[in-house]
Amino acid sequence: MKTNQYLLLFSGPDWTTGLAPQEVQEMMDRTHAWFDRLFGEGKAKGAQPLEKTGRTISIKNGMIADGPFVESKESIGGYLLLEVADEEEAVAIARQNPMLTAGLNIEVRPVADICPSVRAALEKTALATA
Amino acid sequence: MNSPSESSEYLLLFRGTDWHNGLSPDEIQRTMTDWMAWFDRLVADGRCLGGQSLATEGKVVSGKSLHVSDGPFAESKETVAGYFILKVADLDEALDIAKQCPALAYGMTVEARPLLARCAASQRVLDQLAQTTN
Repeated sequence: MKTNQYLLLFSGPDWTTGLAPQEVQEMMDRTHAWFDRLFGEGKAKGAQPLEKTGRTISIKNGMIADGPFVESKESIGGYLLLEVADEEEAVAIARQNPMLTAGLNIEVRPVADICPSVRAALEKTALATA
Repeated sequence: MNSPSESSEYLLLFRGTDWHNGLSPDEIQRTMTDWMAWFDRLVADGRCLGGQSLATEGKVVSGKSLHVSDGPFAESKETVAGYFILKVADLDEALDIAKQCPALAYGMTVEARPLLARCAASQRVLDQLAQTTN
């Protein structure tokens, strides 16, 4: 069966806010069980949480700028790489994440075989020369 | 996922899916050739464990209602376009690599984030719990 890769990007406010330590523990246990099942089924290919620190690199006025990473509720807190049949299955898996009830937001993004910007440029070139 | 954090792994998140706007196909092609050479070199050095680019579509799942919406991922400065996983000595080395990104000059930004063995939020709560029970 042909499989496709999808990257799940997790974001959202601090999910532990307002939860008792025991509730945090329970949520973690359920979430770990969710990850473990997906790895056991061979559908998860990698997953890691991110530290809430880091740096942001960009170009400002022609110079490389090295700025702080600013935490927000849009910040990405972790990722999960899935290998599944299609987007429908990836979305169905995402909907089973226990942390959704705590305000989690999940981007489900198809992994591209070639950078989409480059593909668009190549297609434009092909059209121009066709 | 349960071993203590001794992270020398960093995630580079490439943000911006509009960097190619206003560039000629040749410039885009050259940037991509530079990018692939950069990536291949990092992989050969053992400093990059993997990386992928993401399609500019997808879904967003959110909230208790498990609402599914189409992602507004097309051509924005914040959208994640791809990622590298680095295995390096420290954040400074990760930043040196981030600064070599060939699309920086065209407005892409690179976020360098330490990877963890355990979720940062839950670790904090468990640390607090350990302190109060000691």
